[in-house]
Amino acid sequence: MLSVENLNKSFKSDGGEVHAVRDVNFRAGDGEMVAIVGASGSGKSTLLSLLGLLDAPDDGSIEMNGTQLAHLDAQGRTRYRSRQVGFVFQSFNLIPNLSAKENVKLALEFADWPKEDRDARAEAMLAMVGLGGEKGNRRPSKLSGGEQQRVAIARAFAAQPQLILADEPTGSLDRATGQKIVELLRNAASTLKTTVLVVTHDEKVAQQADRRLEIEDGVLTEIA
Amino acid sequence: MNALRRGARNAFRNAMRSVGVVVILGVAIALSISMLIARGAVDAKISAVRSSTGNTITVSPAGFFAGQGGGTPLTTAQVTGLLSVPNVTAVQASLSERLSSTQTNLTSPTLAGSLGQRFGGFAGGASGSAGSLSVPIRVTGTNSPGTSLVGGANGGGTEKLTAGVAFSATSHADVAIVGADLATKNDLKVGSTFRAWGATITVVGIYDAGSTFANAGVLMPLATVQRLASAANQVTGATVTVNSLGNVSGAVSAITKKLGTAADVTSTQATVQSQLAPLNSVKTISTYTLIGAVVGAAVILLLSMLMIVRERRREIGVLKALGATNRSVASQFVAESTTFTVLGALVGGLVGVLISSPLTSALVSASGGASPTGFVRSGGGFTGAGTGFTPPAGAGGALGFRGFRGISNTLSQLHTSASWSTLAFALLAALVIAAFGSTVASATVTRVRPAEVLRSE
Ligand SMILES: Nc1ncnc2c1ncn2[C@@H]1O[C@H](COP(=O)(O)OP(=O)(O)OP(=O)(O)O)[C@@H](O)[C@H]1O
Ligand SMILES: [Mg+2]
Repeated sequence: MLSVENLNKSFKSDGGEVHAVRDVNFRAGDGEMVAIVGASGSGKSTLLSLLGLLDAPDDGSIEMNGTQLAHLDAQGRTRYRSRQVGFVFQSFNLIPNLSAKENVKLALEFADWPKEDRDARAEAMLAMVGLGGEKGNRRPSKLSGGEQQRVAIARAFAAQPQLILADEPTGSLDRATGQKIVELLRNAASTLKTTVLVVTHDEKVAQQADRRLEIEDGVLTEIA
Repeated sequence: MNALRRGARNAFRNAMRSVGVVVILGVAIALSISMLIARGAVDAKISAVRSSTGNTITVSPAGFFAGQGGGTPLTTAQVTGLLSVPNVTAVQASLSERLSSTQTNLTSPTLAGSLGQRFGGFAGGASGSAGSLSVPIRVTGTNSPGTSLVGGANGGGTEKLTAGVAFSATSHADVAIVGADLATKNDLKVGSTFRAWGATITVVGIYDAGSTFANAGVLMPLATVQRLASAANQVTGATVTVNSLGNVSGAVSAITKKLGTAADVTSTQATVQSQLAPLNSVKTISTYTLIGAVVGAAVILLLSMLMIVRERRREIGVLKALGATNRSVASQFVAESTTFTVLGALVGGLVGVLISSPLTSALVSASGGASPTGFVRSGGGFTGAGTGFTPPAGAGGALGFRGFRGISNTLSQLHTSASWSTLAFALLAALVIAAFGSTVASATVTRVRPAEVLRSE
């Protein structure tokens, strides 16, 4: 269970102050998939970076299963990222000189997953996203965009995180492929009991979520 | 796969750049290693040359060399006066004379030969045919037979008394120590007599100096030769001994000042100093090249790592977003720069050891005087004096011969070798270079904010 209260973040730039996230409040349950929609520059990515502890909020609270995360130090944030959060990016962001399997094992390594189990775990995760067998040994450049995003999803879920943060996961894919990726996220969320937050511009993608939230100039509202 | 292995693997991500970086590092390391080896070789050479330097000074009448040239003999007073020069501990004076066939009943064991005829200068048969040439007998008058006997005042080698005794330094007696070959040729034994300048000389000893030339000479008391050869107070050469090596150049100037234009004053040390100058400049060049190569390698690695870190800024952010610690990401880059350095060191080490030998000899000969040919004149002058060629008995000096030969030998044997300390230093330098490149990379890694990954997608 993710619970966010009165979350605020602003940036100082040459043109003055940008209040990217304003008094955001929401909750998301385990296994729930929540879509976040909004115009460009509305603060979607900023919100994800706060929830993923990539950045610290100015004030507010982020609670994960009763644990306060907003005030962790750098070491605590790193630990939380490695074990409790998984990221899926628009541009996949796989490490180019590592094979699909090695990319998945990277997340397991950072999460201190038992060494002897990493290989099997990585293979199981790749099988879950439909990339069993030989494709696991390929480098990202030898995989299609959809396949690369599958590897990224396997990597994000590998260390059994509580929360998956996906920023425009279908943005670089054609409609049909994107559709399959969203289904994959949807299924993984419910079977693994993981909370999935998906930022998207695509109405069709948003409609597949359990709930939809809209953000406008940093202000978050629930769409009925 | 841990961060270190990932880093080592990353070193090969861009094959072209990796080869470039490794080659440049290799060249720099090769240069440093060969400069180190060159320095070591030159150092060894310098100390070898230094240790072959004696603490003696040779004084000869101006313009007189190798028994040739003009010049007015020095006087006994001038030479003994040198004892008052500060730091001078002994003065050995000698007078070189020749006995023509009309002045002695001795026959030289040496044949005139073509060299003898060319250089001429024999008494008797001056206008006669080649057949009537006879080689004169060399007589060296000395006031310190002890020194002559070990120093080879008589033109090289070390005289060893094989029979009889030496005469005393102040002797006025009509006595002589004769060379082994001369003794054999003339059937001389201890107690035998021969005729010289009308006087009857008694043989008190026989020496062997190991060379045909030296063994054809006669050593007699200085005073006796001065009297018999009507050369009262005349001296053709002196060897001045100074109490320590450090005082030699001071004594040379003092003696030069005292004798003025009458004498040529030389010490092997002065000669050695002028030979050492180019070696010292090679040493300086190699020191600067060494520093330059190490600094250059460090800068190249640093810039390459900066370029790589910048290029992988996004990837660094991704690793951090996945939960990698700063330390883990930094160690990955440290491993990468260390891989470059190790490969560079392997390439450089191999090339460095291979090129150091030709490079060292090129550097040494390019710097002129230190090449062995610089010594041919002196060395050849003495060794070539086989027949009918009179060397400077006292003038060229005992030390002259030994010193020159020593230097030319050691110079021609200028060795290059990679010692363990050289390798240890190279390893240390490589580590410093790697550490330098790594530190900069790590510093940049730490500054990358993971939130950047979500921006500008
Ligand atoms: N590090 C930063 N420094 C300064 N301003 C920032 C920073 N990060 C975000 N902003 C600003 O905050 C606002 C929200 O940006 P954010 O990236 O969250 O938008 P977004 O909704 O993800 O847009 P897009 O759909 O284009 O990705 C923008 O005005 C942006 O310029
Ligand atoms: Mg965004």
